[in-house]
Amino acid sequence: MVGLSEGEQEFIKGGIAQDLRSDGRKRYTYRPIYVETGVIPQANGSARVRMGSTDVIASVKAELGRPSAMQPDKGKVAIFVDCSPTAEPTFEGRGGEELSAELSSALQHCLLGGKSGAGAGIDLSSLVVVEGKVCWDLYIDGLVISSDGNLLDALGAAIKAALSNTGIPSVHVAAEAASDEQPEVDISDEEFLQFDTSGVPVITTLTKVGKHYIVDATLEEESQMSSAVSISINRQGHICGMIKRGGVGLDPSVILDMISVANFVSRQLMDKLDSEIAAADADEDES
Amino acid sequence: MEFVSPEGLRLDGRRPTEMRQLRAEIGNVAKADGSAVFEMGNTKVIAAVYGPREVRCEYSMANFSTGDRMRKPKGDRRSTEISLVIRQTMEACILTHLMPRSQIDIFVQVLQADGGTRSACINAATLALQDAGIPMRDIVTSCSAGYLNSTPLLDLNYVEDSAGGPDVTVGLRLLSCGTYGYTLGPMD
Repeated sequence: MVGLSEGEQEFIKGGIAQDLRSDGRKRYTYRPIYVETGVIPQANGSARVRMGSTDVIASVKAELGRPSAMQPDKGKVAIFVDCSPTAEPTFEGRGGEELSAELSSALQHCLLGGKSGAGAGIDLSSLVVVEGKVCWDLYIDGLVISSDGNLLDALGAAIKAALSNTGIPSVHVAAEAASDEQPEVDISDEEFLQFDTSGVPVITTLTKVGKHYIVDATLEEESQMSSAVSISINRQGHICGMIKRGGVGLDPSVILDMISVANFVSRQLMDKLDSEIAAADADEDES
Repeated sequence: MEFVSPEGLRLDGRRPTEMRQLRAEIGNVAKADGSAVFEMGNTKVIAAVYGPREVRCEYSMANFSTGDRMRKPKGDRRSTEISLVIRQTMEACILTHLMPRSQIDIFVQVLQADGGTRSACINAATLALQDAGIPMRDIVTSCSAGYLNSTPLLDLNYVEDSAGGPDVTVGLRLLSCGTYGYTLGPMD
């Protein structure tokens, strides 16, 4: 990205202070969001989300596997993000690794809950086939095609849309097998169960620039941030995960204020996303 | 396995000389100087072009700069080969003498592979270069072909490609009508 001059930096900061950003938005307004589902037919579910110039794709692949010994009644989900060099030439080779790792771990944090599986936004118990023996492993892959800020929110939205598009094949388990043998399973090509995404949270990132917070920062605005807090909130208004980035310390009262703002903003994002996903699914059914 | 039915239809219902559905979009990656998405059937590829710009000094992370010692993994052979093919094809068409001491980066990302990825990559790269306004002496388009069940087939999909028959990917320059033919895959 080309560096910003002093004048440009002041312009961005001043605009945010006056609730009039460089592209005319207010502080809590998102850029136009476009959602397309089913963009990768070979995956079990996929979606592409565009927020302004930020363009990301998420795909979900499901494979049968063994549940972990500690949680025999839950399936497993792994989230990986790849930053494509098409978004930024510096992402070539190992360049994008740091950002990819940061985004992957942030998404895992926000969507998957703690090590015990508690508080996961994605309901892992719906992925189990035979308790203790066979479960579905979901591999969620995010790909950043074009980056203009707010990657985490876009990826979170894409994952939610991809999961709503995901069809898990129904599995018929053969009759009683011995307790330590793997039961025979027959994966159906015809029947699919739609994954239930009503509990999946959305991620809202609040970027603090000067004394104010903004939502859906562009790359230029992010360069002026002092810190950013990303909060994942589900439909019930419960917080599923929270991450603070940036070196500048924040007073706890500021964090509480940011949480209440995020609660308000995420409701709008959730409604917008649900309507876009429904429209995208309807388009896909028609075509 | 039968790849061409007695009526002359392939596994996906196409005729032997019929191509898959083509779709293209340009300008997707707003930050790139030029970009394009190209689809040939289920194969979907996105290309972005950055340049011409100043050649920057390459800097690579030293092996010991992170906690564990990590050697830079070599790109797998197939991607290196495809990168080389695309580079040679494009280099021949770009008027590089108009941009001395500059660098043009072409990044291609395969979103979905269903045979013919090399061709889709070349087509997407051509579109992205045009979207970027890079001076070129010609336009290159590409398609693959093979030979199965004693029938020449155009635009192989993944199943036909992995059938073990010979296949070729051809890059064709439109204006000067010269052909860059790359024979790839065993010619039995």
